[in-house]
Amino acid sequence: MSTDTATSNALKAKSAEGEYLTFVLGAEEYGLEILKVQEIRGYDAVTQIANTPEFIKGVVNLRGKIVPIVDLRIKFNLGKVEYNELTVVIILNLHGRVVGVVVDGVSDVIALKDEQIRDVPSLVTSIDTKYIVGLATLEQRMLILVDIEQLMSSQEMALMDAVAA
Amino acid sequence: MTIDMSQFYEVFFDEADELLAEAERLLLGIDMESPDDEELNAIFRAAHSIKGGAATFGFMDMTEITHVLENLLDKIRKHEMALTAEHVDAFLAAKNVLAMELNGHRNAAEVDQEQVADVKMVLKSLSDASGVVIATHPVAAPAPVAAPVPTAPAPVEFSATAEVAQHEIPDGSSCFNIVMPEITERDVENLQEELGLLGLVVVSKQANGRYVLSLTTDSSQADIVSICSFIVDADDLVITLAPTATAVSPAVEVGVATAAPELAKTESKATSGSGVAIHEEVGYGLFEEEGKEKVEEGYGFFAPFQPHPDAVAATLIGDDTVPTIANSGEPTATVTAEASLGAPGGVERRSPGRRESDKATSNAETSSIRVGVEKVDQLINLVGELVITQAMIEQRISNLDPVHHEALINSVGQLTRNTRDLQESVMSIRMMPMDFVFSRFPRMVRDLAAKLNKKVEFVTVGAATELDKGLIERIVDPLTHLVRNSVDHGIEIPANRRAAGKSEAGTLTLSAAHKGGSIVIEVTDDGAGLNRNKLLEKAAKNGLAVSENMSDSEVFALIFAPGFSTAEVVTDVSGRGVGMDVVKRNIASMGGVVEIRSALGFGTTISISLPLTLAILDGMSVSLGKSIYVIPLNLIVETLQPRAEDIKTVTGEGRMVHVRGEYLPIIALHSLFNHATDITDPTKGVLVLIESDGKKSALFVDRLVGQQQVVIKSLETNFKKVPGISGATIMGDGGVALILDVSAIIQMGQNTNYLTGAPPFSNQNNQPLQNQRNA
Repeated sequence: MSTDTATSNALKAKSAEGEYLTFVLGAEEYGLEILKVQEIRGYDAVTQIANTPEFIKGVVNLRGKIVPIVDLRIKFNLGKVEYNELTVVIILNLHGRVVGVVVDGVSDVIALKDEQIRDVPSLVTSIDTKYIVGLATLEQRMLILVDIEQLMSSQEMALMDAVAA
Repeated sequence: MTIDMSQFYEVFFDEADELLAEAERLLLGIDMESPDDEELNAIFRAAHSIKGGAATFGFMDMTEITHVLENLLDKIRKHEMALTAEHVDAFLAAKNVLAMELNGHRNAAEVDQEQVADVKMVLKSLSDASGVVIATHPVAAPAPVAAPVPTAPAPVEFSATAEVAQHEIPDGSSCFNIVMPEITERDVENLQEELGLLGLVVVSKQANGRYVLSLTTDSSQADIVSICSFIVDADDLVITLAPTATAVSPAVEVGVATAAPELAKTESKATSGSGVAIHEEVGYGLFEEEGKEKVEEGYGFFAPFQPHPDAVAATLIGDDTVPTIANSGEPTATVTAEASLGAPGGVERRSPGRRESDKATSNAETSSIRVGVEKVDQLINLVGELVITQAMIEQRISNLDPVHHEALINSVGQLTRNTRDLQESVMSIRMMPMDFVFSRFPRMVRDLAAKLNKKVEFVTVGAATELDKGLIERIVDPLTHLVRNSVDHGIEIPANRRAAGKSEAGTLTLSAAHKGGSIVIEVTDDGAGLNRNKLLEKAAKNGLAVSENMSDSEVFALIFAPGFSTAEVVTDVSGRGVGMDVVKRNIASMGGVVEIRSALGFGTTISISLPLTLAILDGMSVSLGKSIYVIPLNLIVETLQPRAEDIKTVTGEGRMVHVRGEYLPIIALHSLFNHATDITDPTKGVLVLIESDGKKSALFVDRLVGQQQVVIKSLETNFKKVPGISGATIMGDGGVALILDVSAIIQMGQNTNYLTGAPPFSNQNNQPLQNQRNA
């Protein structure tokens, strides 16, 4: 984990500037680096996997690849967990590993400059604040920028064996 | 070094590897009495191709060895020499050295130079011996001529021949002619003195003012070079080797005479080609006519490789024969060679040979191509997708009205057939014959047997059986262990075998055969067999839980326990007790099963059964609630729907089913996987009897769905290893089904309390289970 924080600090020190895909979880709006996104698709039937945490919905067939699906709504304890034709899955490609993330909806792709991004105050949240790159303000809305790569490869997500790529 | 170059290196390394393996296979298979010409030629071609490649890439050490090897082989294949066991041994040693050098270039591994020199010397001495053979058996096919054939008498004064011939040449020694560069008389004296320490030296002077030292010694050429190099530059030296023999004195004379190409003049019959003329003379002049004919033929068609020991030795100095001849011949000889008929034989002598082997290579190239494994894997993956898509289409149209959509349904039927054919052909690309693995063993068995003073006859059966390349590579190590074990522990020493009324030579059989959807590889020996009592005793001593009531197969399976060895003495071959557990683990990781059959005094058979391919699995799909799981078909013993009276419990817990006299624990998949289902009573569902590691259990599922081939997909690519699941597959409807890891499930089942349904993997850590298994 120490290396994780180190890299994430390095990332912060460098710049969080870039284009972000914004998505909605309950009443909150989040952003993740657009370059990590492979595609966005609807929610299909998943195959459950035994003895895994509730937020890991299971695996789906993505054109022949077996891809795990994580429901961030359950993980973050946000929004109503229901699956219908409007449910969206963001397929992320993190260093060659493909992971799907269920969110309430995808809204926009926005470019953010360094000066628009604020540091995160220490808070008690369901996820460690180290996975949050910063907060951005768009008009009246607050955008939570997640370091999706660190989050997905973290141990608490239980998505990968031991140390991730 | 450019990337391109190193790519070519890889190609050469791969090719050389294959050629060496091929040469070894042929050598081991060769019939010493009457070697097959085609085989000899094949070995020769292999050596030649390696030599060519090595020279191209500048691996001179390999070139040197192959060159000597090639010369010797050439003599044998032309029947100038009879093939002996000694030769085969030398060739095998040379193969080892080449492999070592190859490894040296490839992986910067260490090369034992001493061994290289040794082998080189052995080959050389064998090669030199040929001169005698030719001379004493002139009836054998006349030597195809390689030496330059002067039409005019070579204007060289040479007086050494007679002198040397007059000297007694001691047994086992060779006579070297050393042509010096231009050096002073004092240097010559010094050299004479130094070389005198090695043996008898005769100094003569050529017309052109050069000195020629004839040295009779039992030292090697390398020694001579190293002594001379104190005084003259070794590169300027031309050392030629004359064959010697005390038994046949005319041969000696001739041998020495032929040693120096300049000697052409000393023979009056120079017009017809010196080399042959000389031999014919030795051959009592009887075969002169025939010899000449052959010679002419030789120029016309055949590749006259250097059949002469002198030429052999000469080429050792330079990289190629031609320059060396030019050197040694000094102006005069070169002139004669070029100006005469000798030119095609002497100067171009290498090209026909090359052409010959080119032809062989081009044949090989047209029949196979080298493709990266990734490309093949990609192709297999794509075809896998196609098969799934095709299955999806098939499923969709099954709901259509056949009357209205007849054409579509027909087309899809066609598509189905084509897809299946395509899949089969693509899968067969990865298939390789077991011969690829088996061919490594004759050599190993031979060496091992020699080391252990045992006589072992090695038999392979079903070498053409095909297996997935991925598995082929992984089966080598386990098989090596098993074969070593069989030779070391299984087969007894000849004396014991005789005492037991068996033939002195033990038989070790390696067989492969298809059996259903799997391949069965067996290592069988007719040795001592496994001693049940000894095994039990040893196991008890090692603190393993054993009892007299254990079945034979359970007792034999003890040898797979880590640290278990019944060998009384630990040898460097085996007996340390590591190995069998590794074998077992490796095979299990390939989805295979190991089984031992043995009868005390009659031998042991270790049988490995493996899936044909890692990519496709014959599976039984079962349903559990809304999910589908796939169970590998080869691990299913039977399926049944139990009657209520067959279900038994122990202390009100741990349910078992009574099947054909056996009580098998019931593992309820739904409680193991915390899976919601309506069927919780075994009599309402189906019990699938599964067997792994010799243990049976009854897996309780909702119902059977069907049997089908599934393409195995890794869960770990994007996710992680899940206990009880070995992989995933994509079903006809595009959904994902998980493939059960049967051996893990049996282990998990033993830790589950069926009634309480406590999940065994609340901590998701199956380490304790494995420990328990190993304990």
